[in-house]
Amino acid sequence: MSTMTSRGRRAPLATALTCIALGASLALAGCSGSAPANSAAVPTDAAKITGELNILVSSASGSDAGFKAVNEAFAKKYPDVKINFTAVPNENYNQARSSRLSAGTIDVGLANPRQLPSYVPESNKGDDARLAEAGGFVDLTDQAFMKKFNASVLDKITYNGRNYTVPTGLSYYTGLTYNKKIFADNNITVPTTWSDFIKVLDQLKAKGITPISIGGKDTAGIVMLSVVQSLYPTAQNKDDLAKGLYEHTVALNQGQQLEVLKKVQQIYTYGQPNFAGSNYNQMTSEFLTGKAAMISDGTWNVGSLREADKVDFGYFPLPASDNAADNAYLGGKVELSLAVPSNAKNKDAAMAWLAFFADNYKLFNDEAGFAPSQEGVEGDPFYAEIATYTKQFEPAWDTIWIANTKAGQAAALPFNWSAVKPMGSMDAQAAADASQKDWEAGK
Amino acid sequence: MSNSYIVFGRRWTAQLTFAIGMALIVVFSLIPAVGIVVISFTDIRSLPFLPVRWVGLDNYRTFFSSAQLAYNVAALQNTFVFAFAVTIFQNVIALLIAVLLNQRLKGRNFARAVVFLPTILGVTVIGLIFSLIFNPSAGPAAQLWGMFGASSAFFGDPSLAMTLVILVQVWSGIGVAVVIYLAGLQAIPQELYEVADIDGATGGQKLRHVTIPLLAPSVTANTLLCIIGALQSYQLIYVLTGPINPATQVLSLAIFTQGFGGPQGGAVQSQGYAAAIAVVQFIIVAIISLATLAYLRRRETAL
Repeated sequence: MSTMTSRGRRAPLATALTCIALGASLALAGCSGSAPANSAAVPTDAAKITGELNILVSSASGSDAGFKAVNEAFAKKYPDVKINFTAVPNENYNQARSSRLSAGTIDVGLANPRQLPSYVPESNKGDDARLAEAGGFVDLTDQAFMKKFNASVLDKITYNGRNYTVPTGLSYYTGLTYNKKIFADNNITVPTTWSDFIKVLDQLKAKGITPISIGGKDTAGIVMLSVVQSLYPTAQNKDDLAKGLYEHTVALNQGQQLEVLKKVQQIYTYGQPNFAGSNYNQMTSEFLTGKAAMISDGTWNVGSLREADKVDFGYFPLPASDNAADNAYLGGKVELSLAVPSNAKNKDAAMAWLAFFADNYKLFNDEAGFAPSQEGVEGDPFYAEIATYTKQFEPAWDTIWIANTKAGQAAALPFNWSAVKPMGSMDAQAAADASQKDWEAGK
Repeated sequence: MSNSYIVFGRRWTAQLTFAIGMALIVVFSLIPAVGIVVISFTDIRSLPFLPVRWVGLDNYRTFFSSAQLAYNVAALQNTFVFAFAVTIFQNVIALLIAVLLNQRLKGRNFARAVVFLPTILGVTVIGLIFSLIFNPSAGPAAQLWGMFGASSAFFGDPSLAMTLVILVQVWSGIGVAVVIYLAGLQAIPQELYEVADIDGATGGQKLRHVTIPLLAPSVTANTLLCIIGALQSYQLIYVLTGPINPATQVLSLAIFTQGFGGPQGGAVQSQGYAAAIAVVQFIIVAIISLATLAYLRRRETAL
């Protein structure tokens, strides 16, 4: 009897808790689904540009300095605006953006809505693409300041025919940064084919110089992206590969796909000892102290390397193909893309800031060190040196590939570079078999 | 005197105090916990403007799907290895240190402060310290290994990473365990040791027959805190070995990466999926904690 009474008293509490939780969840859903107004314009009356302006970006020393330079200049022109600039580490950006977007405390942030190819199921659509479709970002397509940016760059970040973001620059990352002095001292010229490349690596190793420094804890994936760039050199090649994988007409453990991991495995043998435990800073330090002849890195590091001023460096595409023409261009991506959320509390100031950014782009890029996204703006002299590799923009594999949420983790990118020894414990064939198995499981 | 009787002696004051405590627990613990169960049946992404859809058991089906199962089972195994090893080593080492620090030694208070020091360091600071110590190219650990003609990638070595993470977790958590054991030791009446001395008991016999039985409540508290903390811990693993290292992937890290940013370029599920993993984790933690509690309570009574 007492048990029955006890149960009878507990049941309403459990029901009440469930109701409250359900109510809270539904309220959340209700808030989430409201249609926003996604149009805004740069105010013509400067007096209207006042209040707090919240800017949230992911942090990198060069771009942080660039944004600060723009912010200082903006503050002089618009003294009634108080800028709250926040740069958070890249790995924490999604988390910070999610909570601040929900609170409506981002006026200018980052976004990257990516077009879903017809062969990719809708379930794989990214958060930013969903937000763009739901009107979560201000449509910037017809803003006058957008005309200052290179049309071909804008074309790369178009979503459903509209532009929701401002491109801050371009980066290339399928190449190797090399120490010119070490190359000259050893009579090495920049290799253009795979066999030449292996000869160079062997030559350096024989001299006791680490051929390539790799950041195994964070940036080793760049080696895989570089190999893919040579074996699938054009955007069309990469798109065909992605389509073939989604349609299951090609396999990850056969042919050229297997060759990717075999070449990654071979390159790993030329990395610094125990590179799997090295992070980005330790990798860069090996290069700056002259212990390593090359680093597997992106051009985003140019500013930091130049600031360190210890090594005269150049950059060339990692030649993973024996056909030199396939190794001719660097793969890259559009860097940090700026957007104004539709729920921004100070849209006037946000639009004014974006217009100011476009007008004073050089101020930003002189510090950020990106390849410029505006025509006529001079970038770092480094980009003139690598102009032959960038005259035709080739998107890197990770900007074409859309991950399949139904597939297993080994097929996320889907080349399983992190499982190959010494990053993981498999050889190339076993890692490729594992990724193929995980890919098939998500069919 | 009569005022304090009126304030603290009345039934309604006790009820009010209890109600405030309960209200805090209900609002900040129970409702969010039930909310997590509810959202595990949705595709919520925690972003404004995006509709939330009821997806039924889809998130659980994905968790147990053939594509994800091997990865999740491996994460579960890592979770158990991590929690079991941390609980055993942390408790044994903490007990030995506490017994040592309970003696009348010179510099005892300084030693106690040093042992407690790691507890007040943040996870990021601890991560930075141990990343430098285990820097494979120039860290002190690499130099020590080098003296024996060996080398290692340490946190990058799939066969060593988990052991090192356990070591760091034990080091960082040992301060609290030592404090709990010290408090327990100081509550043991000195007379019992005097009686044992009269009976001719050795140091080991006193530890076994006096100290350990009377420390049973502290062992229970420390073991439970350790198990629950270790089963839910991911921060140190994230900082030391990164978010996607299969060798150190644990369930709570999977929740974080799925909910707030997955692997570079990899697939990111909805936060509803992360909530589903959290529910599975909650069930596992609850079963293990309750079973451990029941066992330790029985043992306390037996001792």
